[in-house]
Amino acid sequence: MNVAPATNRASWRVVDIVVASVIAVASGVIFWAWNAGYGLVSLAFVAFPPASAFVSGMWLFPAVLGALIIRKPGAALYCEILAAVISALLGSQWGLAVLFSGLIQGLGAEVVFAAVRYRRWNLPVALLAGFMSGIFGGIGEAYLLGYFAEYTEAMKLFHVVAMGISGLVIAGLLSWLATRALAKTGALGALASRSAHLEGSLRSA
Amino acid sequence: MPELSSSTTEATPGHLGGGGFEITADNFGWHHAERPLPALSGLDLHIPAGQKVLLLGPSGAGKSTLLHALAGVLEIDERQQATGKLQIQRRDAFARSFPVGLMQQDPETQIVQSRVGDDVAFGAENLGMAPELIRARIPEVLRAVGLGNLDLSHRTQELSGGQKQRLALAGILAMGPGLMLLDEPTANIDPSGIAPLRDAVIAAANATGATLLVVEHRLQAWAEHVDRVLVLAPGGGIAHDLEPRALFENEKIRRELARAGIWIPGYVPHTEPLHSREGAELLAAVNLRAARHPQAVRTAEINLRLRAGQALVIRGENGAGKSTLALTLGGLLEPATGSVEASSDLADGLSPQPFSWRAGALVARIGSVFQEPEHQFVTQSVREELAFAPTRARQAGVENEKYAPAQIALRVEELLDRLGLAHLGEANPFTLSGGEKRRLSVATVLAASPDVLILDEPTFGQDANTWLELANILIEALESGITVVAVTHDEDFAHALNAAQIVMTREEPDAKPAAVRQGPMLDAPLGDSWLAKINPLAKLGAIAAATLPLISTIDWVSACVVILATLFALPLAGLRLGTFMRRGWPLIVAGALAAWGIALVGEDSGETLLSLGILSITEGSVSAGVATGLRTLALAVPTVLLLSSTNPSDLGGALAQQLKVPHRFVLGALAGMRLLGLLVEEFTTLTLARRARGVGDLRSPTQRVKAKLGQVLALLVQALRRAGRLAVTMEAKGFGTGTRTWVRSVSFTWRDGAVLATGVLLGTVAIGAALWAGTFNLVWS
Repeated sequence: MNVAPATNRASWRVVDIVVASVIAVASGVIFWAWNAGYGLVSLAFVAFPPASAFVSGMWLFPAVLGALIIRKPGAALYCEILAAVISALLGSQWGLAVLFSGLIQGLGAEVVFAAVRYRRWNLPVALLAGFMSGIFGGIGEAYLLGYFAEYTEAMKLFHVVAMGISGLVIAGLLSWLATRALAKTGALGALASRSAHLEGSLRSA
Repeated sequence: MPELSSSTTEATPGHLGGGGFEITADNFGWHHAERPLPALSGLDLHIPAGQKVLLLGPSGAGKSTLLHALAGVLEIDERQQATGKLQIQRRDAFARSFPVGLMQQDPETQIVQSRVGDDVAFGAENLGMAPELIRARIPEVLRAVGLGNLDLSHRTQELSGGQKQRLALAGILAMGPGLMLLDEPTANIDPSGIAPLRDAVIAAANATGATLLVVEHRLQAWAEHVDRVLVLAPGGGIAHDLEPRALFENEKIRRELARAGIWIPGYVPHTEPLHSREGAELLAAVNLRAARHPQAVRTAEINLRLRAGQALVIRGENGAGKSTLALTLGGLLEPATGSVEASSDLADGLSPQPFSWRAGALVARIGSVFQEPEHQFVTQSVREELAFAPTRARQAGVENEKYAPAQIALRVEELLDRLGLAHLGEANPFTLSGGEKRRLSVATVLAASPDVLILDEPTFGQDANTWLELANILIEALESGITVVAVTHDEDFAHALNAAQIVMTREEPDAKPAAVRQGPMLDAPLGDSWLAKINPLAKLGAIAAATLPLISTIDWVSACVVILATLFALPLAGLRLGTFMRRGWPLIVAGALAAWGIALVGEDSGETLLSLGILSITEGSVSAGVATGLRTLALAVPTVLLLSSTNPSDLGGALAQQLKVPHRFVLGALAGMRLLGLLVEEFTTLTLARRARGVGDLRSPTQRVKAKLGQVLALLVQALRRAGRLAVTMEAKGFGTGTRTWVRSVSFTWRDGAVLATGVLLGTVAIGAALWAGTFNLVWS
């Protein structure tokens, strides 16, 4: 019992599951607050609806934030899908298709963390995860779910790229900053990311 | 001591008793990772089975650590280790061979499930107990804790703090533990809830013969009901092993415990004498009714006048709206009717209504201290925290800074010294101890020298030392002419401040207490419609089968078929068209927005209707837009049938039992979802708490965005804290250790099959109709 078995790095403890769940739920609250104030934002986009892709990184941050905090395989996917389930339960305007969106957006972030074998949680990885989450999500919405099937081809591409950029900034950069700020408060004490604030932006254990 | 023999237990089928566990510690110690010193060391202890023990000690003596070790929730890994031996019934406590019950102080995270019956069953299910046995026990244990009148499907979120703790106790009793560990169970509940909880605990211990360990720093409630008092020494080991009588009679012990901040029975800390003189009138409430939000229950009508240097205590029963009144007096909520009027001295160039003031003007005039200090922390260090409000404070109208930078620096140093926080100037406020956080939260508000200070339950859960420091700070404030208003049940505190008092009564005695009423709810009561009795997976499958085929095509025919079918099915979910429209309007707006987007930037064809530079609206793009809008609507509206007839807990149960989705994740998700309403409430409170700190005078968009991000971060901190405590509760209830049983069985009948088949049929008919009408328009072509 002296040394934790190596598999512990990958397996989820109760606290990991509960924290990931609560992050997804808190994201649901933030979505709700965002929606409550969304009227104003969306009015701005009425003039040019495709521009709304620039704020859609908002829907992607549970994936990156969850992974950066929990640091376990599947965390990005789990947090994003659960956040999608919660928005579906709260009455999503996209119906059950939101679950598919959650899956594909989560997958976009998950592949990045998997590609570095769940060993790096630094800024470039976070930015890339946010970006890929946006690209996956954008492709899902524009090409697979066909939300914008009647857009011109150029507009579809614009949507995908804009969502990627939005993911990079909102989901990637902000999640990375948030993880560091949370680590400083001591609120991550029980988790693998407890000393995220002491890690450099390019290095992490 | 009363102890049931095991033969009595077996003779009464379904009886709760299983006898108590014996505890032994042999030179036991524990060192948390990241802490410089061990939490416990060299502890030798023997507690015989069935003994009721009160565990005391100064903060940091390792009381909670000992309880967590006994509950088996301390994690041994490469960073932290136990030393010596800790045994339950002569077996290693860390092996978790026996069920042990643990209750912590935050009532919100002692509950796991959203329905009363499910929550009681949770621990027993995790232990793999037979469902019939658990079902029989649920009403029995609820009666034992005085909650026998609750419906099993009652929402746990609607219980008061004291009731939540008793429910948690019922869940512990259902596990049949031989050891119950209570970590400050009454610290966060209203005084009126303390005696019923204490009685339930003692009665349960007597009936089951379980060994009881209670950590508490208010001893009055427990001292006469325990067999033994153990005092832990800060460095390690036991400082005193006492008869409970000693807490009343032994003056030396009483003095020593009092010095450690423990509330020994009959002890009131000695505060500085108060010499205040009342000055001019500052603030008045005129025919005031306060309410959390326009639709919420209002308080009774209040009239009061506050003078400089005066202290006022607001008292009253639960749900009378004491906190709401305090927030309204503090200029944080708008009066529902009547008014809050600041005198011209206080308003200092502004209108008399504090609610209309900008945050910076408000902090310089009226300061509000919230019940939870962490809600008001807005910076990354103690020093910045103290400088924050003075930097924002504005006087004589809103443009003039109240303090020059040099004055602020001086003030911050002075406050750091006076609070004994000088060595913590650079520390993150969230990492302070409970008492330090409380003092800091008061000081941050006092730092802007408001003329009126309003505090919500400032002494709640505080030890006697923090209590005394707080009282002395406020006495000094009163003497300097500040008006102090406090919502509190604490009579000694009111007395120390020589406070006048008003007692509020509930305006609508029958109205439910202020449970979460605003914002989203995931587990709203469902009623008993036909669809509510259908297997959740059947409903989910039916809606997937009906809507997902629509993804393949953008045409108005298939969409209309699904929308019409949904409207006809509304009565099955107990919905009327009117209710549906009220709920569904955001979906319609979303549909319209999608339609507009396509009309504007969709492929152009046919006659041009409107030209906007490079964008144009054509006949072709409009009809594509309409089809897209209808499809968006058709994808979304059927889910209303599912949502309005399905409890998420049932859906989760079905997913885990019938689809074999890993139950740890399903139940973890459900436990998290139970906190949704609470987190929404916290987010709203944070908005108010941050205005009370001077956040909100934000001119530029960047400042606004930064402030919102700060609020989101504050919410995440609270969410993580709750998650940590919830995880401990769930682990202590045996979550995730082995195969579990389920009290709610899930069946799949012919009716469920029929619902599923109807969904499949609807999807087919919708696509078929589109093909027949020739409107089918494949998305991926």
